[in-house]
Order: sequence, then C-alpha cells, then structure tokens
Amino acid sequence: MNQYEGMFLLDNQVVRADYKAAKAVVIDTLKKHGAEVVAARRWDERRLAYPIEGRLRATFLLTHFKAGPNAITGIRREAELDERILRHLLLAVEEIPATELELSAAEGEDFAPPPPPADDAVDREEPLVVGTPDAVDEDVVSEEVGVGIIDEEEV
Amino acid sequence: MAMKMASKPRAPLVPLGKKRCDDPRIDYKDLAYITKFMTPQAQIQGRRRTSFCAQCQRQLKQAIKRARHLGLLPFVG
Repeated sequence: MNQYEGMFLLDNQVVRADYKAAKAVVIDTLKKHGAEVVAARRWDERRLAYPIEGRLRATFLLTHFKAGPNAITGIRREAELDERILRHLLLAVEEIPATELELSAAEGEDFAPPPPPADDAVDREEPLVVGTPDAVDEDVVSEEVGVGIIDEEEV
Repeated sequence: MAMKMASKPRAPLVPLGKKRCDDPRIDYKDLAYITKFMTPQAQIQGRRRTSFCAQCQRQLKQAIKRARHLGLLPFVG
C-alpha cells in the first residue's frame, strides 16, 4: 500500500446543490478501487486561471489515501470519465502531513461551505452582437460609400 | 596565422554561498511562494534569477506545472 495525495476539481453546480454529495463522488470513487481514504477536505473554492470545461470557478477537494499501485489506473480513468470532476492530480507522497489529518477531522460531518459565487459558468450561448441589426447595416453602408468616394478622388 | 584565443573561464551563474535553498519544500499549493519565481507573463524564471540549486529548480518547475494543470496558475499571463 502506497500513500497518495489527490486533488480534485469539482463542478461548482454540484457543490452548490449538495457539498456532501459532491465530496462523496470523490470518496466513493477512491473506495471503489480499494483505496483507504485517510483525509479529505475542501481545500479552497477559487477562480480558475483559465476556463476548464466551460467553468471559470471550481471547488478544490484535497484528499490523502492509501492504495495499491494497481488502483491508481482505475481511479484516474474514473475521474476522467466523471463529468462532475473537472480535473484531478494524483501524487505519491512519502508521508501524510499531520496538519492534513487535523484539518480533515475539523471539517467534520456538519461542515457546510459558503455557497460558491454564481459566475462559475462561461455563457457561450449569448449572441455576440453589438447594437441593433439596423444600426449595424447603416454603419456598414456609410463606410462603404465613404471609402468609394475617397478612392475616386485619389484616382 | 591566426592564433587561437584561450577562452576565458566563465563565472558561475549562481555565485557560491548565495544559494537560497533554505526551505526546499516547494509545494504546488503554496501559490504565494512559487509565484515569486515567475515573470509577469507567468513564465518560470531561470536559475540565474531564482538562485536555486538544480534540485530545487526542478522541484519549482514541477510545482508550477502542477499548479498550471489544476488551473491555479496561467500558462500564459
């Protein structure tokens, strides 16, 4: 059994609906592949440096677990396929820090994180139109006419 | 006949005794620390600027790349 650290980015829509259910998504995935979860806590909820799967914000879940080397392949594959997990990072660690055990225990069963802000989704369906269609047509026509006049004078 | 000039010995990039590997525990979650060694364009600074030893510079590189993968740091600033 090796010791691993796993960081999982969770979709804020799932976290907003139920944080425990979102946390259970990760823990169930780990347990399904025979891992022993030692610590799991909400590390942070923050704005991403670049959009990931159309999300601008995400909740970071930090886990420490013990598992055999063969379990990691299955965990990676499951995390890749699950749409609620935006991204993951699994690292082998020599020891699990004691502070993580304390922080994970302090989170407890009744922990309720503050609801994430509402600007986590990139609105891709919004049409990129500036001004009304009539006004745009008039501008285009006037510019074309203007350019034509200048060209004639230069010639 | 042109004589071959003897090349001058180069000074070390990082002067001895000025390495700053006091705390080698570089972690991808410690963003306040690792962003000190990035340019405003989010590039990783070289050893000449960071004054890290080769081992710590590799750890720094790995930590920044892990943070980029998780969306904590940008690839391009």
